[in-house]
Amino acid sequence: MIRAYLEVAKKSFQNNITYRMDYFAGVINTIVMIFVNISIWKAIYEEEEVVGGVQFKIIMAYLVLSFLLQNIFTMEDYLIEGRVTTGLISSDLLKPMSFRLYVFSYNIGSLVFKAVMQLLPAMIVTVALFGMLPPFSASMFIYFLISVVLGYLVLYNLNFIIWISSFWFYFTFSLVTIKDAAVMILSGALIPLWFMPQWLYEFIKLTPFDSIFFVPISIYLGQIPAEEVFTSIIKQVAWVAVLGLVGHILWKAATKKLVVQGG
Amino acid sequence: MKDYKGFTIFEIIALFFSYSKLNLKTTLEYKFDRVLLAFAIFCREMVSVIVMYLILTRFVRIKGWEMNEMLFLYSFLFLSYCIFVFIFTGIRDFDGMVYSGDLDRFLIRPLGLMYQVIASRVDYCATIGHGAVGIILFIKTSGDIGIQWTASNIAYYLTALIGGAIIQAALFMLSSCFSFWTIRTTNLRNLIFFNSRRFAGYPISFYPVIIQKLLIFVVPFAFVSFFPSQYFLRKTDMNMFWDGYLYLTPVVGVVMFFLVYKLWTVGLKNYSSSGNSM
Repeated sequence: MIRAYLEVAKKSFQNNITYRMDYFAGVINTIVMIFVNISIWKAIYEEEEVVGGVQFKIIMAYLVLSFLLQNIFTMEDYLIEGRVTTGLISSDLLKPMSFRLYVFSYNIGSLVFKAVMQLLPAMIVTVALFGMLPPFSASMFIYFLISVVLGYLVLYNLNFIIWISSFWFYFTFSLVTIKDAAVMILSGALIPLWFMPQWLYEFIKLTPFDSIFFVPISIYLGQIPAEEVFTSIIKQVAWVAVLGLVGHILWKAATKKLVVQGG
Repeated sequence: MKDYKGFTIFEIIALFFSYSKLNLKTTLEYKFDRVLLAFAIFCREMVSVIVMYLILTRFVRIKGWEMNEMLFLYSFLFLSYCIFVFIFTGIRDFDGMVYSGDLDRFLIRPLGLMYQVIASRVDYCATIGHGAVGIILFIKTSGDIGIQWTASNIAYYLTALIGGAIIQAALFMLSSCFSFWTIRTTNLRNLIFFNSRRFAGYPISFYPVIIQKLLIFVVPFAFVSFFPSQYFLRKTDMNMFWDGYLYLTPVVGVVMFFLVYKLWTVGLKNYSSSGNSM
C-alpha cells in the first residue's frame, strides 16, 4: 500500500522536473529575496552596530534560513481545486487509496524535489555570498530539524483547510492569496517577530502562525532559551493536531456534500 | 478629422468605452468573486508595505529615510502599476491571446491590432487592488513630507506616474514581442519584472552599485519610483546620481515604448498563426 503513495510522490517529483523555467525561477527568486532583504537590513545596521541586542549576523542567518524554508514549504495550492472543478474528484474517491494521503504524498514529492534541486543550489550561493552562522549547538540543531518538520505540518494542515474550501467556492485563488499574505506577515517569514510591537507579538503567540517559520529558526539561532524549546515544540504539535482536526471535520463535510450533489 | 482606418477619432474613442463597458459587465458578473479577488490582491501587495511599516516603527529611519518618505517612494510603484494594468492588461496577457488564437480574430477585424489588444481587456481587480494600496500610501504620506502641491509639482507628479506606467508597459511588451515567434517568455518576464520591482520598493542607494546600474540602465525601475520621489524629497543619497535623472522618467518611458513598438511591428510581420483558432 505504501508503495502506491511513494509512486505518487515520485510522479510529482518528475512533474516538477518538466517545468524547467519554473525551476530556475524558484532558485532565482529565493536568491533575490534574500539579497534584497539583506541589503535593507545592512542599511539599517550601518547606523547602529547592535539593535535590540540582536546582532546583524543573527538577522542575516535568520533571513537566509527563512527564505530557504519558504522555498521548500511552497505547496501545490491548486491540486484539490483542480480535482474538484474538473470533477475528477469523484473517481479519486473511488480509488482504493486515501485521497488525503494522495494529496500529502504529492506534496512530499515536490518537497523532496525542492529540497534537492532548489534548496541546495540556493543554499550554496547564499552561504558563499553572505556566510552563515552555525547552529547554536548540536542539540539545538536536532530540535531545529524536528521543529522544521512540525512547522511544515502546521502549514500543511492550515493549507489543507483552505484547499478544502474549493468544495464550496469555485475559485480558491483569492482565499489562497489572502492566506499567503497572513502567513507572510504573522509567521515571522519576512521580519523576526522580536522586532514587532509587543502587543502584536503577544497576539501572534496565540495563533498557529509563529509555529511555521519563527519557532524553528529561533531554535536554530538559540534565540529561544533551552528550557522553553520543549514547550515551543509541544505547541507546534498541538497546532498540528488542532488544525488537522479542523481539516478532518471539513473533509467529512465536504465529501458528504459531494455525495448529496451526486458527484 | 483625421481618419484612422476609416473611422473618425470619436468613433474610436466611443468604441474604446463600449469595450470598457463590456469588460466591466464581465467583471461584475461574478460580484462576490471579483470583490474577493481585488481584496486578495490588495492583501498580497500590502504584505511588503506592512513589513516596511513594522521595520520603520522599530528603527525610525534607514540611511536618513523616514517612514513617510519611504512609503511615498513605494506609492509610486503601486499607482503607476495601477495605471499600467488598467490600460495595458491586453499586453500583459498577450501570450495567452496568441496561444488561444484570439489574436487571429483581432487580425481579421478592420481596426489596428494594438488598439484591439489594449481595448479588449481590463483587469479591474488588479487595478483596484494595486490602486487601493497606492492611494492609501499617498494619502498617508503626501501631506506629511513637506511637498508643496503647486501646479508644477502636480504636473511633475502626474507625468512621472504616467511615465512609470509606460516604462512598465514597454517591459511587458518586450516580452510579448517574442510570442510572435512562438517563444514563451512569460515566466522569464515575471521573474525579471517582479524581482526588479522588489528592489525598487526601497531606495536604490541601499543596494550595491551593480544593482543600481541594472535598475537605471537595464530594467529601469529606478525611474518608476526612486527618481520621481527624489524630485520631491531631495535626500542626500541623490548626490550619488546625476541630477538629470530626476526629469528623465517620461523620456525613458516614451523612448523604450517607441523602440519596443518597432520590434512589435517587425514581429507582427513575421507572425504565422498557431493554427488553432476558432
